[in-house]
Amino acid sequence: MNRSVHWRTRSAAAVLAAVAIGVVAGCSSSSSSSSSSSAPASSAASSGAAASSSAPAASSSSAAAGTVSTSSCGTKPGVAATGTPINLGAIDTKQPGTDFSDIENMTGAYFACVNANGGINGHPIKYFPVTEQTNPSQIASLAKQLVTSDHVVGMVGNSSIIECSVDAAYWKSVGIDVLGAGIDPECYSTPNTASVNMGPRYSSDGAVQYVLAQGANKIAFDQSNVPGTAYIAAGPDAVAKAKGASIQDFTENVPITSANAIATKLVTAAGPSGAVVLNFTPPEALLILQAAQKLNLEDRVKYWACSTPCNTDFLATSLGPKWNGKLFVNAELLPLDGNTSATAQLFDAILKQYGSDVSGGVGSFSEMGFTLGEIATHALESITGPYTIASVSAALEAVKDYNTGMLCQGYTYGTYPEHIPNNMDFTVTPDNGKFVQASTGGACTLISASDPQIAAYRAVAGTAPLAG
Amino acid sequence: MPSWAEFQPYIVTGLALGGLYALSGVGLVVLYRATGVLNLAFGAVGAMGAFIAYSMIQAGDPGWIAWITCIVFAGVVTLGYGMLFGPALAGRGPLVQSISTLGLALVLFGVIDLAWPTTGGQSPSISFPTDNGGFSVGQLTVNWTQVIALALGVVITVGTGAFLRYSKLGTAMRAMANDREITATLGVPVRRVEAAAWLGCGLLAGIAGIMLADLSALDDTTLTFTVVISSLAAALIGRLRSITVTFAAALVIGLVHDLITPITQISNYQDMTPFVLAAIALLVMSRTQVMTRSREEG
Repeated sequence: MNRSVHWRTRSAAAVLAAVAIGVVAGCSSSSSSSSSSSAPASSAASSGAAASSSAPAASSSSAAAGTVSTSSCGTKPGVAATGTPINLGAIDTKQPGTDFSDIENMTGAYFACVNANGGINGHPIKYFPVTEQTNPSQIASLAKQLVTSDHVVGMVGNSSIIECSVDAAYWKSVGIDVLGAGIDPECYSTPNTASVNMGPRYSSDGAVQYVLAQGANKIAFDQSNVPGTAYIAAGPDAVAKAKGASIQDFTENVPITSANAIATKLVTAAGPSGAVVLNFTPPEALLILQAAQKLNLEDRVKYWACSTPCNTDFLATSLGPKWNGKLFVNAELLPLDGNTSATAQLFDAILKQYGSDVSGGVGSFSEMGFTLGEIATHALESITGPYTIASVSAALEAVKDYNTGMLCQGYTYGTYPEHIPNNMDFTVTPDNGKFVQASTGGACTLISASDPQIAAYRAVAGTAPLAG
Repeated sequence: MPSWAEFQPYIVTGLALGGLYALSGVGLVVLYRATGVLNLAFGAVGAMGAFIAYSMIQAGDPGWIAWITCIVFAGVVTLGYGMLFGPALAGRGPLVQSISTLGLALVLFGVIDLAWPTTGGQSPSISFPTDNGGFSVGQLTVNWTQVIALALGVVITVGTGAFLRYSKLGTAMRAMANDREITATLGVPVRRVEAAAWLGCGLLAGIAGIMLADLSALDDTTLTFTVVISSLAAALIGRLRSITVTFAAALVIGLVHDLITPITQISNYQDMTPFVLAAIALLVMSRTQVMTRSREEG
């Protein structure tokens, strides 16, 4: 009898443990998926890259330090816009572990600056930024709400893990052209959406083509195991193949739990004359790079490279000097540290005066938000008639070779079946806690047209000139 | 299929992880045997301790003070929880007692998210000086942190086994595991024994937290859930009773998990390792039990 009771108790405990494992595993996987999304490409471009003749910042730099104020946002400095408002909306992902809302917050700050300085031909921009939690039905209803209830005439500042794929058909049906910072494939392959950033695929292309140009003959390409990895890997695969180099693709579940094993695997795959290329959010990339450092693996391959998210000084600081000239990161947006260009000064001034909601401060997200505000304002100012969905979309489509001061090349929206307007990058490398432009081959370089998507885009849109 | 040489590096990384799962599993088993509670907050307590240690290091405190703070924090929080809620929940079933620890885990998880939010792409990390030293065995590079992780697993298992067998407190814990009421009527200070078990479990959670922050990642999700999943699976294979079997199971889980890494066809499923191994072990054990009973009845 007593034995039987003991057995039952133990069995109950075993069942409980199994249930508990399931419970915590459920929590784990849910959290993983929420934190696994990669950033919308560019990460903190706050680097110490000196403004050389090849850096995108230099070409736009003309103002002396501290001479640009927020009054240059609009055409009537100090005069608040009082006309009928122009309603614009934005949908950004904001959930635990994934928060892109700084993009729309900075775009909002830019519009606030514009409104305080004459607005758009006297009309203030009324901005409706909303956030979503990667729920397709929520995203779809938010889009409809913005159009039907808030009567927005344009969408500026979208940055979401799945919004492009959910809403692309809807935007097309209502005739809205979206200006955002893209992540999923539809942000680059549909007629009604254009991004200021490259997104993970083309940024990875840039990282791969850089290490190949430096002499690596084999690539181990690794990224988060999230939807769309095959689409992303197709770019680097094509770039490597065109150069006659072999490439092996890997994916990892995130958050990464065994970075040492992953670092070992990648180094083994790349070999001594190859390169490891990572496409992860900064925390995950840092884990792999630090694991390689702890195991003394960093010199077992010729180069290490990263797509844009690694371009954050925090990562350079955490890694230390061993990675100077060893790690190369694709960069898309103007380096701001120590930069005295008019654009950089205006960015700082707007962030200080209107950017109280921009929680991350200076960084890639706020830079993207600023650039989106710039382009939208430029487009809206060209409208002479009423501000409608049709006129705003037409104005965006008319943007051609616009120098944002933030990108390597001029920005073009156009009326193309796909949009990859940012397809020229530069490369940075750590330098004692900062990222600086790579001294060899780090200047603005076109992403290889070996990627069929890039080739298809250039076939219809041509190649935008170098900015400035 | 990778060659044997390609598998070798993962033996080192797998054993290091397995060592930490082992000491975690031992902590869970000891607490369960003494109190009947499965501590699902084990990982979260260690995670929060590790984040506190990280903040201290960032503030300029010496690393060793931060590491000790992590361990002490985990011990104090676990002891505090045990003393506060243990007596109140003692009369309830194992399900209620264990799920209440999941409540603590989720509270700590939320606090970590609030206090150390991930913004701007920054990621905290902890490194030990032992990361920079080590030795080579053929083509294999082993650093001292990995050696310490495995050694800790061995030492804690052996030490706990000896403690349970030879010390007065350990004997009391074993007695409570067999029959709590009889043990109490024999004059054993049950509360004190339980407090010791909670404290010990907490200290082990702190050690596991700070070590895994270096070897795996200083990430709240990873530390809160992965540790618990792997060490619970090991404890389950040990039937929440045998620390020797728990130790062996933990090593196997760590090893298999990492050895799958180079097999690209299945490497994305390596996180299933603890579930699969626990399920196989339970099936085999229950089959053996059924066969034994059949023989006895026959």
